[in-house]
Order: sequence, then C-alpha cells, then structure tokens
Amino acid sequence: MNAERQTVYRWSLIWSGALVALVGAVLLGLAITRADAWARVAGTLGLSTLSWGGLLQALNALGLMPVQSALPAAVKPVGTEYVIAGAAAWLVGWVVIASGIRRAPVSSEGPSPAAGATLYPRLAQYRDFYWSTLGAYGGGILLAELVLILLQTFLSSGGGSAAAGESSGLAPTVAFAVSLVVASLVAFACGFVGASRARRVAMPEATIGVIYLGLPVPILLTLMEQLPDLQLSLGYRLREVTYLADMLGRPVIGYWLVFSLLVLMLVLGINTGFIAAGSGRLDLRLGFELFVARRHVGVFRPSLLLGTLAVLMFGIIPPLIVYGIIRAVEAAVERTRIRSLGLQDPLAAASALNRLKLREQSPTMMMTALSVGGVGVGVMALIIVLSVMSGFEEDLQKKILGAHSHVVVSKYAGQLPEYKRLMEQIAKVPGVEGQTPSIDNPVMVLADDEVQGIVLKGIDPETVGSVLDLRQNMQPGGNLDHLEQPQKIAPRRTMFGKQPDEPEEEEVEDPIIGKSTTSASDKVLPGIILGRELAAILRVVVGDRVNVISPQGAELGPAGLIPKSRAFRVAGIFYSGMYEYDAKFAYILLAEAQKLFGTDGPSGIELKVADVDDARRISQAVSRELGGYPYRSRDWGEIHRNIFSALRLEKLVMGIILSIIIVVAAGLIVATVIMLVLEKRKEIAVLKALGVSDGGIVKIFLAEGLQIGVAGGLLGLLSGLAWCYFILKVGIKLDPSVYYIPALPVKIEPVQTALAVVIAVLVTYLASIYPALKASSVEPVEGLKAE
Amino acid sequence: MALLSIHNVFKSYFLHGKRIDVLRGVSLDIEKGELVSLIGASGAGKSTFLHVLGTLDIPAAGELRFEGRNVFAMNDAEIADFRNRTIGFVFQSHYLLPEFTALENVAMPALIQRRDRTETYASARELLERVGLGSRMEHRPGELSGGEAQRVALARALVLKPAVLLADEPTGNLDPATGEGIHQLLREVNRDLGITAVVVTHNEVLARSMPRRLRLVAGQVTEA
Ligand SMILES: Nc1ncnc2c1ncn2[C@@H]1O[C@H](COP(=O)(O)OP(=O)(O)OP(=O)(O)O)[C@@H](O)[C@H]1O
Ligand SMILES: [Mg+2]
Repeated sequence: MNAERQTVYRWSLIWSGALVALVGAVLLGLAITRADAWARVAGTLGLSTLSWGGLLQALNALGLMPVQSALPAAVKPVGTEYVIAGAAAWLVGWVVIASGIRRAPVSSEGPSPAAGATLYPRLAQYRDFYWSTLGAYGGGILLAELVLILLQTFLSSGGGSAAAGESSGLAPTVAFAVSLVVASLVAFACGFVGASRARRVAMPEATIGVIYLGLPVPILLTLMEQLPDLQLSLGYRLREVTYLADMLGRPVIGYWLVFSLLVLMLVLGINTGFIAAGSGRLDLRLGFELFVARRHVGVFRPSLLLGTLAVLMFGIIPPLIVYGIIRAVEAAVERTRIRSLGLQDPLAAASALNRLKLREQSPTMMMTALSVGGVGVGVMALIIVLSVMSGFEEDLQKKILGAHSHVVVSKYAGQLPEYKRLMEQIAKVPGVEGQTPSIDNPVMVLADDEVQGIVLKGIDPETVGSVLDLRQNMQPGGNLDHLEQPQKIAPRRTMFGKQPDEPEEEEVEDPIIGKSTTSASDKVLPGIILGRELAAILRVVVGDRVNVISPQGAELGPAGLIPKSRAFRVAGIFYSGMYEYDAKFAYILLAEAQKLFGTDGPSGIELKVADVDDARRISQAVSRELGGYPYRSRDWGEIHRNIFSALRLEKLVMGIILSIIIVVAAGLIVATVIMLVLEKRKEIAVLKALGVSDGGIVKIFLAEGLQIGVAGGLLGLLSGLAWCYFILKVGIKLDPSVYYIPALPVKIEPVQTALAVVIAVLVTYLASIYPALKASSVEPVEGLKAE
Repeated sequence: MALLSIHNVFKSYFLHGKRIDVLRGVSLDIEKGELVSLIGASGAGKSTFLHVLGTLDIPAAGELRFEGRNVFAMNDAEIADFRNRTIGFVFQSHYLLPEFTALENVAMPALIQRRDRTETYASARELLERVGLGSRMEHRPGELSGGEAQRVALARALVLKPAVLLADEPTGNLDPATGEGIHQLLREVNRDLGITAVVVTHNEVLARSMPRRLRLVAGQVTEA
C-alpha cells in the first residue's frame, strides 16, 4: 500500500475525454479535406511513421497551418475554423483524459510512530523543478542559436564595420566554422552552468527548454524555405545563413543538423556540469577514477588492441584463423613444457599451469573487445568512404576547374565589346592570376553523317592558357596555335589519294588569311578544337572538316531564317578526362566565334584566381572594381552550384548513414557498460562506503565507456588511414568505361578525418552517460546486501 | 559535546505492502574514544543501525550529528568526504575490491582522497605488517583466506586513522582464536590511536569485555 504508487482511473472521464479528442481529430481531418491537403498530410505522416527523418516533415506540415493562419486574411486557407475547433477539441479531450487519472488517496492507516520526528533533511530539500535551470537550458540553446546566426552574419559580412572599408569579411565557411564553435561552446557552457547550479541532470527543465526555446528557430528556418511570404520578409536578413545552407542543396537538413549539434553540446554540458559539480563541489580530477576504471576494463592491452586492429585491417576470418593456429600451437607447446617440468618438480608445473589459467578471457573482456571493434569499424568506414568521396570531389573539381574558369565576368545583358578595358581593370584586383575573353553558345556539329549538339566556345589562344588547362590537355598531333594559323593545318589525305566526296560549299569562305585555295578539301578553313569523345563520335581526326550550324546569328535565306553554317578544320583534339567536357565542348578562335554568332564582342571574361577556395571573395572584389551593374561576376561555386551541392549532400548523407554504424557500436557500449555496472554493484557500494561520491562513480564508469570509445576511435583512425594509403599507393582499379577515372581516388582531409574520431568519442561518451548514472544511483546498502 | 549523537532516528523497510519498523526512534550519544559493543537478536536491526550511523543508509526521520554538525544536511560530496575521512567500516564479510591487491585495497581510502601514492603505500604496508600480513601484500582478495581478508579489511578501515570505526560482526565467520585476534586489534587501535569504535557482535563474552555495552531490542537501543 505504502511504497507502491497507486493510480486510480475514472473510466467515465477517460472515455468521454477520448470521445472529445476523437471529435477534434475528425474536425482536423475535415479541415484537411477542405484544404485538399490530404495527399500532402498523408504523405508526410506516412513518412514519419516509416522513419524519424519524416517526423520533420510532419512538423512542417503541422507548422504550416498556424503560420498561414497568422498571415493576413487574404492568404488564409480554407477550413481554418475547423482547424481551430478541431485543435481545441483535441486538447480538451486530452485534458479530460488526464483528469481521469488520479493518484490514489493516502492510505487510511493511522500515523506511524515516526510522525512528528524531523524529516531526513535532504528529503526535505527536494525540489523537482527550478525555473533558473530552465532558464539556463532553454536560454542557453536559444542563445547558442542566436549567437550562431548573428556571428555568422557579422563575420561573413565584413565584421560589420563599414569604417574598415571593404574588408569584406571572412569566407562564409570559415565564418560558419568559427561561429559554430562559439555557439557550441555557449550551449555547452549554459548546460554546464545550469546543471552545476541545480546539482542534478534536470531532465524536465532540459526537455522543456529545448522544445519551447530551442525548437522555434530551426522550425522558423524550415518554414522559411517553404513559405514564400516568410522568405521575402526574413530571407534578406538571414542571407548569410541561408547562403551556406544552400551550398548543401537541402538547406533544411543543414539547419536541423546544426540544431542537433547544439542540443548535443547542451547535453554534454549538462552532463559534464552534473559530474563536475553535481555532487557539491567542482572536481575535474580524474586520476583515481581512471585508476579504478582501468582495472575494471583493460582496454589498452596489446593483445586486445592488436587483435582488433588485425580484424579491422584484414577482416574477421583471416585473423581468427591465424589466432586459432597460434593458440593451438602455443597450448601444445605449453602443455609439453609443463609436463616435462612436472616430471621433475610437480610444484613448478602447478605454478606454470596457474599462470596459463590467468590468461583466460572473461565475457566482459570479449564484450569490451567487441565494442572496441564496433567503434573501430564505424570510424574506419567513415574515414575511408569520406576520403574516397573527397577524392572524387577533388577530381571532379580539378576537372571542372581545368575546363572552366574560376570566375566569369559578364554583363546582365549583352556583350562586352569593351573587354580590353575591363581586363585592364580586373588585372588590378589582387588574387586574379589570369584572364581571357570568351564566347560560348550551343551549336550543332556535323561531320559526314554524324551530328552532335555541343557548346562552342570562342577563345583567345594567347591568353586562354592562363585560365584553362586547354594547352596541357591537347592530344599530340594537334596544336592550339593552329587556330590562328589555319593554313598550317594539314588537310587529311585519304589513303588512296582519292578525293573525298564532299559537296562543294556554296557559301563564300571568308579567309582571314587572304590566301586563295585551290581545291575544296585543301581550302584554308578556320580551325576548331574538339574534345576526344566528340571527335570519336563524329569520327574525325586532325585535319578533317566539320560543319558547325548555329541557331544564333541566323541568316535570312530565301525560305526565311536559316541557321548559319560554317565549315571548320579540326586543328587539334583535347582530352580533359571528364566525359562531359570531352564530348560536349569545342573551341574556335574568338574572332571566328564573333563572326559566327554575329556579336560584337566576347560574352564574358573568364578569370583564374590564385586560391580556388577564395574565388567567391575575389569575385566580389572584381564586381566591386567594375562598379557593379551592368557587370556581374560569378564564381565557380555559383556557376556549378548544382553539381557541387549534390556532391556535398551526398557526402553528408553518406556520413550520416555510416555514423549509424557508430551508433550501433554505441549501443554495444551501452550494453557493455551496463553489464559492468551490474557485475560491479557490490564494488560500487564498497567504493561509496569508502567515500567515493556519486560524481566519482559516474566518472569511473564514463571513463570505462570512454576508454572503449577512444581505443575504438584510434584503432579506426589507424586502420582507416592505412586503408586510404593502401588505396593511394597500390590503388584499386575502376572500370574506365563506367567511371572515366582509372583508379579509386582518395583524398585524406585532416579535418574530416579528425571529425570522424571526435564524433565516435562523443557518441561513446553520450552512450556511457546512462549506465554511469545508473551506477551512481546504486545505494551502498543495496550493493552490500547483494551477495 | 558528544562525538556522535543520533536523535530520534526511524527506519522502516517496506516489503509487499507491509511496513517493517526496524529502528523506532533511536537516540544515543557516543563520546570520543569510547569502545562500544552492540548486541541484539538476529534481525533486530543492528546492521541497519550501523549503516545509518555510518551514513550508508538513509533514515526516514531523525538526526545524526558529528561533533555537533548535522551530517544528513550536508550534500552528497560532503557526506562522501565525511565517510571517507571520519568513518572506517568493517563488515560482516570483508568486501574487498577483487580487482586490486591487498595493498591497493588498504590504500584505497587514501587514494580516493588523491593522496600521494608512495606515502600512502608506505603507511598501508606498515598497517598490513601490523595485522600480520606482510607476506600477502600482492595477493588479490580471491587469493586470501577469510581471516586474512578480514584483517585486510580492518587495515583498510584504519588507514586514514578515522575518528570512528564501525565494525559489523567482524569475527562472525572466523574461528574463535582468529576472532579474538581481531578483537585484540580493535582494542589496541582504540587504546593507542584513540579511535572511537562501535562493534556489533553476537559473542556475549566479547561484548562484556567492552567498556560500554548497548543492546538493540524492539527498535530501541538501551544500555546493557
Ligand atoms: N532491504 C530490506 N527489505 C526488507 N526488509 C529488510 C531489508 N533489509 C533488512 N530487512 C529486515 O530488517 C531487519 C533488520 O535487518 P538487519 O540486517 O539490520 O538485522 P541484524 O540485526 O543485523 O541481523 P544479523 O544479526 O542477523 O545480522 C530484518 O528483519 C530484515 O529482515
Ligand atoms: Mg547484520
């Protein structure tokens, strides 16, 4: 009667409450019907039952309604009254249900003999809710978010100081990194302060704080992506934030990831604060706790570490076979040795046998090894996959940037006949290494029967080398300089000296070099440079003739507008290593292109900058140098935004998926540490009796989990790096027809690699919190009685 | 002022909805340097009383004062520290930590305080010599006999020279001769170091040899 909590249910209230709530649900359903939003709502709800990620979408769907109803009446969707009535009924229903559940009345027994005695003082001080803690947690997460947004905006928009002139601020990624670190520290500090002041973990306060104060910001940002009105009113102010998130392609994912990171930091801060000060005084010393923890789980012993490393490097089976062989041989050798020892001195044999026995492994040790291995596998997979993806990204970037320029300056409309003057101006901007004018337009190329739609680019051979890798990419046999001296291109002779049956061109050739030609096939035609794949498709080689048909600059013919057609001779073939470019690009002389397209200047100036990652800043500087409108300047990130953001998103998603391995390993750690706690209940009680505080016990078991995490993380790092070096040095061949890249690329990015390890250690730390708290709550008396 | 004074302490256990009142308003003063024996029938609540006295158990009501300070009003870390510095426990069974050697076990309370290792081990060694276990320092508890383990536990309780030693039937599982040896040791530390000791025992003879005798009957402690 006494100790058990008794609950009384008033079924009449519960049933009527359920009825009211049901009515509310029906009304909500009606509202959805009226708004014709069933498909959307069902979709998002269905998603959310399938996976956690969909929960976000459900939130969006629900969040949409109130926000839209708060908007001016003009945009009010139909069925708003139903939404309000339904939501109210739904809430009232639940309140009624809640009021139907009551704590049982106090037992009717008379007062105990202890009535009137002083209550155990610490019980008398119990309080379950602190407003100040709520303030610290909720305010902390909100503050962290605001700090992140404001600092990001402040840093990347030039330190905010207009007086400092055009200092233009940090690169957005750097600004983001700095502000993220600061915001994480803020979240951590607030959690720490809150928990150490309250001297308990204070879960209710944390939950309420995060939900009511922390969630609104990411929800607002998410809604902003979906509601144009909101975007209009807020988007401008938050442009630095959204710019960065947009780089991911799916900004919403970015917002929520950052939010979870901040919550994580808050939780870490809370936990650390509780451990450090929760038991009454700030104590961050660890020596004793580590001493005990190391005896409980011996992670850092050579056999375990080497064994796990071997498994990580070579898979499970081979090391197991080797281990089995070694153990079998060793056991046989030992037994014969002990027997011969025993024949002389039975006592010596007994002691040797004893030593052999000591080496046997306990189940906890096996669990520990498994957990270390699990974390190791996760970290290793993360490092390898991310490095390979970075390798692909780098390769792609190199190829894109080889074939394309870093920054393109153009006009919002029209050509740049004044490009010479602009180029002089641009040359003054620091960081610009090379520039070349260009035109590009889509055209068709024809050679005999083959046709291909491509991008034809007019270039200036003199300066193009300072921006593009075209010169290095030329295949032997052709020459870039022949664009300017088309007479040097040797027309291809067919093998039998027979004239190829080409129809005579009716159009008058307008030779730049005024040299008349004898025959059609030997006529001096302007040169064109094709990509290798394009040449293969058209089945042409250097010296062959191709026709270019351009819809732009169409000529008036007898039957209306007809596309312009010009003949060119293949002056060279380039190979960039990227299929897209090798199949879709051709280059001609700038002057030829102007003539072909009927323009009076290049359409843009392409720039090369010293530091590719600094292109955005330099692009802004160029635009400022040119005085803005009508000129504009775009960097490669902007021009090829889709492909890079797709890559980044892919990498992020891969990272998240692979982190699941680490999370599973963390589950293993939870199990291991819980097992340890159960196994060591008596020891925990004894330690407490000897004067270890609750905080000390938490530290001991956290240290045990962390040992596993650190060992796993380091082993994963080691094996991951080893694999990466293997791929780098030995290489893994790829099918060139599929990947267009001969071997698996790898690029080890230190930050990302370190992050994988740090994440693993953080996750194991988080995983050990619960078991460690469990351990600290073992009452000394309980443990002493548990025999 | 009494060294330890407990006032109106209640403690009950709850099992299957039934309340078992073990301590019913115990009040008692223990002076500095006293050697006290506590006897009572099995199940009378002697261990419970000793646990409350040593802050290991939480009473439902009542006060515990050490040199006038209200112990239960302190926070968790302070209580842990109090337990570490002022109270030494010897339990019915030894409760040594199995992963550590005898020497480390004895040194444990000092290590918890983060005292200097070499000094601590030196005094632990000295104590182990004194209880006659100079040759068993590197043994793990599993490699000690019951009597040896109990002596290690006693050494552990004494390593920080606590103000109070609480012993719960320290000789319950031992043969009379060994038990007498341990009691002899208890008397010695009480006399030589001035450590106040409360010893629970079933042995009437031993109990009678102590200067002050208490009896726990029906949830009350009386002088016997
Ligand atoms: N956790 C518990 N739950 C319920 N009852 C308990 C619990 N612990 C002890 N008791 C009861 O409380 C009473 C006192 O127990 P305690 O261990 O203090 O006795 P004791 O005097 O030390 O006995 P002994 O001399 O046999 O050691 C016993 O009757 C026991 O059954
Ligand atoms: Mg007992």
